[in-house]
Amino acid sequence: MKWNYKLLNKTILLSALLFTIWGCSDDDEIIERNWQIVWQDEFEGSAGQSIDESKWTFDIGRGPNEDGWGNAELQYYTDQTTNASLDGSGNLAITAKNESFAGSSYTSARIKTQGVFEHAFGRFEARIKLPWGSGIWPAFWLLGSDIESVGWPQCGEIDIMEYRGQEPNIVHGSLHGPGYSGESPITKSFGFENNRFDVDYHLFAVEWDEDYINYFVDDILYQQIRPEDVPGEWVYDHPFFIILNVAVGGNYVGFPNSGTSFPQTMLVDYVKVYQAVD
Amino acid sequence: MTHKKYNYSVIALLTTLMLFLYLSCNRDLVDPKLATFPTTSEVFIDGFSAGLNYSAFGGSNVSAFDVDTEVKYKGPAAMRFDVPDSDDTRGAYAAGVFHAEGGRDLSSYSALTFWAKATESVSIDEIGFGFTFEETKYATAIYELSVSTGWNKYVIPIADPSKLNAERGLLYYIDTPEDGKGYSFWLDEVKFEKLGTIAHPKPAISDGQDQVVQAETGDKITIDGLSSIFNLPNGADQRVELGSGYFTFLSSSTSVAMVDELGVVSVIDSGTAVVTAKLGALDASGSLTITSVGKPIQPLEPAPIPTISPDSVISMFSNVYTDVKVDTWNPFWEFSTAEVADVKIDNDDVKRYKKLNFVGILTESEKIDATEMTHFHIDIWTPDPTDPPAAFKVLLVDFGADGNFGGGDDASHELSFTSPTLATEAWVSIDVPLSNFAGLTNRSNLAQLVLSGDLKNVFVDNVYFYISGGDTGLTAPEMAAPTPKQDAADVISVFSDTYTNLEGTNLNPDWGQATVVTEVSIEDNNTLLYTGLNYQGIELAMSQDVSEMEFLHLDFWTANSTALNAFLISNGPVETAYALTVPTSGWTSLDISLSAFSPVDLADLIQFKFDGNGNIYFDNIYFHKGGGITSEPIDAAPNPDRNAANVISIFSDAYTNVEGTDFNPDWGQSTIVTTEDVAGNNTLKYANFNYQGTQLGSTQDVSSMEFMHIDMWTADATVVQVTPISIATGESLFSLTPIAAGQWNSYDIPLSAFTDAGVSMNDLHQLKFDGQTGTNPSNIYLDNIYFYKEGSVATEPTEPAPLPTQDAANVISIFSDAYTNVEGTDFNPDWGQSTMVTTEDIAGNNTLKYANFNYQGTQLGSTQDVSSMEFMHIDFWTADATMVQVTPISITTGESLFTLMPITAGQWNSYDIPLSAFTDAGVSMNDVHQLKFDGQTGTNPSNIYLDNIYFYTEGGGMITMPTEAAPTPSLDSADVISIFSDAYSNLPGTNLNPDWGQATAVSEVTINENNTLLYSGLDYQGIQLENNLDVSGLTHIHIDYWSANSTALNVFLISTGPVETAKALTVPTSGWVSLDIPLTDFTQVNLADLIQLKFDGNGDIYIDNIYFRK
Repeated sequence: MKWNYKLLNKTILLSALLFTIWGCSDDDEIIERNWQIVWQDEFEGSAGQSIDESKWTFDIGRGPNEDGWGNAELQYYTDQTTNASLDGSGNLAITAKNESFAGSSYTSARIKTQGVFEHAFGRFEARIKLPWGSGIWPAFWLLGSDIESVGWPQCGEIDIMEYRGQEPNIVHGSLHGPGYSGESPITKSFGFENNRFDVDYHLFAVEWDEDYINYFVDDILYQQIRPEDVPGEWVYDHPFFIILNVAVGGNYVGFPNSGTSFPQTMLVDYVKVYQAVD
Repeated sequence: MTHKKYNYSVIALLTTLMLFLYLSCNRDLVDPKLATFPTTSEVFIDGFSAGLNYSAFGGSNVSAFDVDTEVKYKGPAAMRFDVPDSDDTRGAYAAGVFHAEGGRDLSSYSALTFWAKATESVSIDEIGFGFTFEETKYATAIYELSVSTGWNKYVIPIADPSKLNAERGLLYYIDTPEDGKGYSFWLDEVKFEKLGTIAHPKPAISDGQDQVVQAETGDKITIDGLSSIFNLPNGADQRVELGSGYFTFLSSSTSVAMVDELGVVSVIDSGTAVVTAKLGALDASGSLTITSVGKPIQPLEPAPIPTISPDSVISMFSNVYTDVKVDTWNPFWEFSTAEVADVKIDNDDVKRYKKLNFVGILTESEKIDATEMTHFHIDIWTPDPTDPPAAFKVLLVDFGADGNFGGGDDASHELSFTSPTLATEAWVSIDVPLSNFAGLTNRSNLAQLVLSGDLKNVFVDNVYFYISGGDTGLTAPEMAAPTPKQDAADVISVFSDTYTNLEGTNLNPDWGQATVVTEVSIEDNNTLLYTGLNYQGIELAMSQDVSEMEFLHLDFWTANSTALNAFLISNGPVETAYALTVPTSGWTSLDISLSAFSPVDLADLIQFKFDGNGNIYFDNIYFHKGGGITSEPIDAAPNPDRNAANVISIFSDAYTNVEGTDFNPDWGQSTIVTTEDVAGNNTLKYANFNYQGTQLGSTQDVSSMEFMHIDMWTADATVVQVTPISIATGESLFSLTPIAAGQWNSYDIPLSAFTDAGVSMNDLHQLKFDGQTGTNPSNIYLDNIYFYKEGSVATEPTEPAPLPTQDAANVISIFSDAYTNVEGTDFNPDWGQSTMVTTEDIAGNNTLKYANFNYQGTQLGSTQDVSSMEFMHIDFWTADATMVQVTPISITTGESLFTLMPITAGQWNSYDIPLSAFTDAGVSMNDVHQLKFDGQTGTNPSNIYLDNIYFYTEGGGMITMPTEAAPTPSLDSADVISIFSDAYSNLPGTNLNPDWGQATAVSEVTINENNTLLYSGLDYQGIQLENNLDVSGLTHIHIDYWSANSTALNVFLISTGPVETAKALTVPTSGWVSLDIPLTDFTQVNLADLIQLKFDGNGDIYIDNIYFRK
């Protein structure tokens, strides 16, 4: 299929070029690319139905160390349909609720394709309408499949979309790897001057190849990260799996407050993965 | 909008800030178009926007608002609001409206936005727009808006912009001090904006509750609790209070209740109606269910007017008499279902009881001594059946000598009344001898009247005790009116034996009145008698100029008048009424300030008029000036201005008084104690004053106080003494001197006057005033009786400076525990100063102290480039400094002192100084190596504390996107060579992203179907032309560009060589910038041989319409 944006074809010129010396080559054209779909979930089904277990699994609880998934997040992730289910209109609804559960004050859900679908390179995209309010932290992201053998951040983490509910007009795309993780990832933000991400659906995507990861919102390229841009090892050469979640509180987003209304729901129209066809 | 009541009388301020432009009115005769209003968005940016006026609320401090050129967020000025202390005599709150003269069309905006900060963390009671003194239906406000000491942006959404197409109320605020203390807040950049970042409206009426009210036909019920929640650009839900005009209301049954467009429900008939509302297309949550019983049955006429002389009556409730104090008409006793309301029947006040099973009417705080009385009277009217055995019962309860319920000395008796005494739908006068209350063995401490029985609905009027057959018929004064004492030279007399009266006055002009006018002699004194007054004129022989006079004096006497007004009339006729208090007890002597008759022209007075009812005696009708002593104060006592924390108050409206104090304990005095309203201020009156005690509600230790304060007014007293009374050590009288009659005297008595006489101050339980050493009773007024001490200010802070809230990523910090500071900084370089610098631990927070401060430098550990910052922040505390200045010092361009304003001693002051304050003075911000503080311009060293000295910016690092495409070019394509534009054919083969090793990410984005070039994370970026280009025949290069975050941007033309020349572009932009740069600006570049374009700088930039033109 064709896309309505133009991607730059990058050729690394070995010689140091003066700006003003131009060696025009065919490599410098803006070209278009074709993609072939390899995996998708359109979330079709009846309202209240749980997720397709042939595509997704749940993360349950407060994280392996009971510490809010390493970020002091406040929610308890469940597999209840009140936290994650289809909405009957072709969307996945992940809902953060203000309810006591197993010692936490909030419940929510985090689903992933780990062990079910793992893939390297290509285009990963999801069409999402985001929740809102201080302390609400939804994300659409990828983790390296070798996390259990090499650990994090060596496995690599590609955050296609993260968002702080107190900044409903800004999303963030980040890359965490060895030497640039946690509080110091490679990151950039994309914001609307006069719109928000919680009033309508928007398309969040990365296009990932051996030597670059491009970040898009609604097919606008707003960040390109290449191996020379990271202060550590470039570890994006092996399969990753997909995660969708809505966290509440935590180091990244801060606490919910009196201005935060609950429940808060992230609606996901679809998640699709493509590989390039040259 | 009902949560607060304010006086909306308007005080328009004409200041020099407001330029009223009266345009000439030579208009064309007919304007066939619909009137439209300007869409100006600005309210206050760098000053008043055109046509904006300010009006303060009545009773507020009219000088609360000012334009501040020192403290501002941006530009030359900000709005400053000084909220006064609660005891400020100029007005104890700040409130005003900024209104546009002709109205504005705000329908294209979605919010009012502004930047605000305050001298301390406060909440503004009410702030919004859509409010004028004439129109509030589109009022929109946030209540309790929290404002901190740093500048922050605030957003007040417009609930339905389409309603605001001719809005005059652009901004209003109401703010009262917090805990009695005033403060200042600032607003800047106040404007209406169209924001796409407000979402999820949730409108509500009745506060979102499903409320139910009982009603009856004729009731008007206003739907309140109108609001909507909006999710603001920061993700927070914000409740916004709304006027009713934004809503459309719907009644489920218009035959029961109608609701108008302002949300006022009119109950029409019995039944049930549910009122709901919509805001635009959204259903509002909440509803109001009206359950109507239909038409109320009530008397058509007032109760019979009592005829007993006031001298023989103790009245609890009557329009005819002065009533004694009744604590309550419904104490809500357990199991009582009674409801009481004040209603008017033909202007007569009546108590209406509903659901009456039993109700207490209490006089427990001031018990009635009815020993002299012989009868009890009450008028009742009921719509309920009164056939036997239906009964109405009256119980009187006396608490006995102990003054308390119980105690073995209480007495009571209940009488039960049935038909034929009772009647349905008719006034029934129950008038019984007190002897019928056989069990009421004494009646000197009557404390309760209890009504009960079978009548659920009872209207009650004229409840009083009286002496039957006593002196009921005193209808004429026994004594003459008091002889006037004014010097005749200061008097213009109309009717008085004392003065020469104006000649030719007609005391009984025929104006069609029913009043009978006679002159009677009382104690050989001519007196004017109006019998059966309806109205009555007095016609002067010729117009009189009394504008030199100050008062109109009247003596009058009446036993039976219940309404009496005096009028002055000037040519026109212009007349103004002044209400006289009737009936009188003896002669009333009144000096009415002539200003009370405004707008009557005092220079052109032609007539008097009286209206009202009853029989009235008048004497000594004259105007006078000077030397005139009124018998009662016209003005309130001066409002105290002491800090409440330093006061123990006994009697004052300005402070919280000692609770439970008895101002009239029975110590055998002749004094009659009342509380009078003097110009809106509660004032204690001692009439027939010989001496008077006060029993404090609790024993007071005032030993930490220094003074006793008393305000006193008297017309006749010449000796007044006072003493506090100690339980252990008694009293010592202190004489209040000097006494100036006819004006307020304020006394501040050092407590040593009492302690020196052996009276201890740690166990005061009473006060005592003594008049004329106990002889010749006088009349005095007292107010503001309190003990106080002079306040003192702390010499060092006890609280840490406010915690900074800026994101560390946006901060370059010099001194703060909250941030990582520039390393290696020397806070005490030797520049010859007298200052001693230390770091103090204030409540766990490191704080810089400058003692003996004249000036003080700081040598930064390394030179700092703060040019990407916007503000310099400083927290500052002092007890004594009044002038402190600061400057960063640039290596190359030096310094420019900025004055920290305002300084409030004894608290932390936070300043956010726009760096433009320095850069505008030529100080560059990219090479700051030192700071300097200057105190008192170098003289009179002071002590100051500093904290949180840092530079910061509010900016984050995000891309924002234009919402509109760049303007479409309009030039003829023949005159253009285009590189990048949808409007023209672009040069073929241009490479928009040649790889020159740059980091910039280039993409093309579509904005409103217009192709636009986006440089994300620009370092530099080239554009490679396919062929060498000759633009020497053209004059300009055109570029449209947009950036929210770039702080540096240059464009280059490059010719073969390469030869390049840069042109700097102004960034960031607000909206698209369209630029036509003369090609001659690109000196040295060969315009006949261009090969490339280049941009460098930083940030994210949208670019469009790059073309050469002529």
